[in-house]
Amino acid sequence: MRYRVVHRTAYTYGEAVDLAAHLLHLTPRPLPGQTVLAATITAEPEPARSVTAEDHFGNVATWLFHTEPHADFVVTLEAEVEVAFPAPPEPGSTLPWEAVRDLVAAGGPEAWAQAEFAVASPMAPRDGQAGRYVRDSFPPGRPILAGLLELTARIRRDFAFRPGTTTLATPIAQVMQTRAGVCQDFAHLMIGGLRALGLPARYVSGYIRTRPKPGAERRRGADQSHAWVGVWLGPDHGWVDLDPTNDLVVRDEHVVLAWGRDYADVSPVRGIILGGGRHSLAVSVDLEPVTG
Amino acid sequence: MPPDSPAPAPPAPAIWDEMVDGQGRVRPAWRGVAALLASLPEGGLAARAVRLDRALAEDGVAALLPSERASGTVEPPWRCDPVPLVLGAAEFARLAAGVAQRARLIAAVLEDLYGAQRLLARGLIAPGPVFADPAFLRPCRAPPLPGPHLTMLACDLVRGPDGAWRVVADRPGVPEGAGLARENRRLLASLAPEAFRFARVRELRPFFEAWADALQRAAVAANPRIALLTAGTAHEAWFEHVLLARDLGCVLVEGADLTARDGRVFLKTLKGLMPIDVILRGVEGRLVDPLELAPDSLIGVAGLLDAARSGGVRILNAPGTDLAAAPAIAAALPKLAEHLLGEALALPGLGSAAAIAPSVTPTFDGTGLVPRPFALRLFALRDAGGAWRVMPGGLARVLEAGADPARGLAERGVAKDVWVLAEDEADLIGPPALAAPPLAIRRASAELPSRVADDLYWLGRYVERLENAARLIRAVLIRLGRGSLLPRDLAELRALAACLAEAGVIAAEVAAAPPDGALLPRALLAACRPHHALPDLFERIGRLARAVRDRFTADMWATLAHLSGEARGALDRAGRDAEMLAEATAAALRFSAGLAGIAAENMVRGGGWMFLDLGRRIERAANTARDLARVLDLPPARIDSGLVLALELCDSVITYRSRYLAALQPAPVLDLVLADPTNPRAIAFQFAQIVERLSEVQGLPEGDLAQASRGLRAEVEAMVERVAASAEPAVEAVLLPKALRGIAERTGALSDAIARRYFSHVPASRRVGFGAESEEPMG
Repeated sequence: MRYRVVHRTAYTYGEAVDLAAHLLHLTPRPLPGQTVLAATITAEPEPARSVTAEDHFGNVATWLFHTEPHADFVVTLEAEVEVAFPAPPEPGSTLPWEAVRDLVAAGGPEAWAQAEFAVASPMAPRDGQAGRYVRDSFPPGRPILAGLLELTARIRRDFAFRPGTTTLATPIAQVMQTRAGVCQDFAHLMIGGLRALGLPARYVSGYIRTRPKPGAERRRGADQSHAWVGVWLGPDHGWVDLDPTNDLVVRDEHVVLAWGRDYADVSPVRGIILGGGRHSLAVSVDLEPVTG
Repeated sequence: MPPDSPAPAPPAPAIWDEMVDGQGRVRPAWRGVAALLASLPEGGLAARAVRLDRALAEDGVAALLPSERASGTVEPPWRCDPVPLVLGAAEFARLAAGVAQRARLIAAVLEDLYGAQRLLARGLIAPGPVFADPAFLRPCRAPPLPGPHLTMLACDLVRGPDGAWRVVADRPGVPEGAGLARENRRLLASLAPEAFRFARVRELRPFFEAWADALQRAAVAANPRIALLTAGTAHEAWFEHVLLARDLGCVLVEGADLTARDGRVFLKTLKGLMPIDVILRGVEGRLVDPLELAPDSLIGVAGLLDAARSGGVRILNAPGTDLAAAPAIAAALPKLAEHLLGEALALPGLGSAAAIAPSVTPTFDGTGLVPRPFALRLFALRDAGGAWRVMPGGLARVLEAGADPARGLAERGVAKDVWVLAEDEADLIGPPALAAPPLAIRRASAELPSRVADDLYWLGRYVERLENAARLIRAVLIRLGRGSLLPRDLAELRALAACLAEAGVIAAEVAAAPPDGALLPRALLAACRPHHALPDLFERIGRLARAVRDRFTADMWATLAHLSGEARGALDRAGRDAEMLAEATAAALRFSAGLAGIAAENMVRGGGWMFLDLGRRIERAANTARDLARVLDLPPARIDSGLVLALELCDSVITYRSRYLAALQPAPVLDLVLADPTNPRAIAFQFAQIVERLSEVQGLPEGDLAQASRGLRAEVEAMVERVAASAEPAVEAVLLPKALRGIAERTGALSDAIARRYFSHVPASRRVGFGAESEEPMG
């Protein structure tokens, strides 16, 4: 499936900003299942300095530095991306979840690097409560993907999708209490719970198509930045992405920007500004299929 | 007893004594020091200890470390013991080789962890603990930072009962304590110089020269500027940083002093942005750049990592080296030494032993020498040629009972100079100084950081504010001391009380009450109590003085610390005993005069002095105008009373008498205190000085701020002319208060304009779009 992405972030400041430094994770990441045909980031005003490089996780990161006073800041991603992530393996053919856990704990080729996603991170700690919730889907010996599919279905069923009830500061424990939130809440709680079991799980930032496929229901988290979860199934099958907000295995309705341990590693636009006073923010996201 | 039961535990091994061996003989390396101790007269050691304490207090340790400020005690938190720790030449050579090996090893480990991570892939270091460690800074791995990451290392060692040294902690992030070590040596050498005749002790200077050289050569640019990044006066390492900056010739900066632009880092100075080429990192690595590392860091510089990555600045040690202190890495060092260096690890860590009983060394406890356990910190440096050098000396810290030797520098404690004995003359002299590239001549004033100018300006203002309060209180005390008060005395007291209320020393209700009652004396005593007007002023003065500590020479600081200690002590006593109030005001005036003298005689007439003086002049002009407005607020018939006070508060009584001999007249008095350009207490004098300072700072004589000051001066002169020209000078004089208040207000406005022009471009930065604060709508 080929998509055109437009993601526009616009800050309007109450007073002039004298100096600004921004770090963006806003370029779709080239992947075996995702071909980036074109991707351009434009900033207004034009930055005095801009740098693009790969970060620790292999994401494409962009630094923008403004040194002239400005009252607005607009940054826009325009991209064209072809996505066709492979079908997930037969769940029954995947390793028992304990085997994945033990492989990561023991290290060794390939598995050692996944330890980074099995340990706690600031926004996705190994949360005990989330761990108990997740554990119900992982009885002893269950193939890992079977457990994950059940887990995403449970999250979709047990948690209400309710924009505005949480912020990025809402801890997992609170989401477990209120059973409501949005995509990054579900992603963080699923990651935190899987990590509590010793399983490697990562936070994936990106987009989901704005209008549903013909005949399908409208996806949650469209028109906005979206987030889901990658889980390592072992050396044979590698990483598989699951969207707990929509109870989907990621195939051809998502576009991946970047991944990290949690949101803080891959926030799309963040910055340090001098001056500015009060500011307002307007964000728009559009992910439309391109035909032809 | 069954055959497989454990044997009874052996008796606890003896503790190793550094000076005396198992047979009670003085070890060879200690013979010189033992002879010295034997040669001292009765009480000689105690006298040395007292001198060392006093020297440290005056050098600022006592006034600087946070613990002192919290508790309010004057006891120096760090003490330098009069007896050094001695290390023989051969023993030190073994230690130095071990520390240098450790430095090479840790450097190689860090290159790997911030590079290919082969050590994790091969399981030589457990990946989980490294990935979970907040000191693992991913933005320092990719995009890559130019290496080498590690250029300095400190190791904490203790010697066990078996005589072997073990490393209890590596300090690969910010190796603190080298400055303190050199300070201990400096103190001991100046206060007990004869001690060095008993032993041939290796010098520390060549190590610091090599360090300064390595910093110079770390930069790409020729003749680079080097800054030591500190967390500021609230940080416990502040004094260490002041010392190091002085020893290494770098400018001491806080994050807010710097700005990153175009992939370079600049120091914000009065004359604009000054490029910085090398940053000696004195703060935790994760705090240096809020854009990419800890976003809540208030002491970092956004864009610093970008500048470091692009080669615009070198940061030493690189942020991220703190990671090497992780227990998972320390535990793996023996294996890693084999793997990376092909060598056995020379200095073992504690290994599986939870703790060992550290060796003891003779320490002065106030009455005599007692054996006390200690930890030894040694310092290694990667020199410009890439070789690791170990400081022939170090910092020995006496361990309190139950203290963990692996902990960092405590807030208080006893430190010892470490004497490494020289093997031969060559060692004693040290290698020849390294050839440094010639320095371009620079004038310091241009590079004055805006924050330092701000601090010095307010230091000047608060000291002058203190002086004004002390003068007012003294004038009150003189009158109250007269016993029976005449109506004239009462009127003067009322005017003085009004001045004191306006200065914020006493409450307005007190000033409104009858001045011969109990209220006024009681309010003055209250003003001396902790957290009230005068101690509060001293607090502010102390805070500012600490913040600009590196702008004062050791002698200046010692004088200042001494006078300040005296005045604070007198104030403390005055708060409890009315009799002491006069002494306290006298001590406060001595302190103020002392600072003025120090500044006049010891400070280069650069930006620093200019702002100190500017603050003082602005404050004096405003205070004098306000005070005169109060004391002249009288009916014309009683003008004499106001004139007396005007002369007294402006310290101009003697000048007036010597000039005029005769009775008081309004015009000559007002000329002396308002317009006389030769009287350093007159308001016009202040404005003349302000014009000069501002012209120097702005670099042009007709700058707008200088013009404003010139206008104020002209106005003051016109006031005196009006009085002198009047047929009824007394009537004209009592009309002045309104105009004087206007002068005070406009002086305040001038101060605001100065602040906006020179200081206010250090606004706080803000985060947008970060983790928990992001407003990004998410679905």
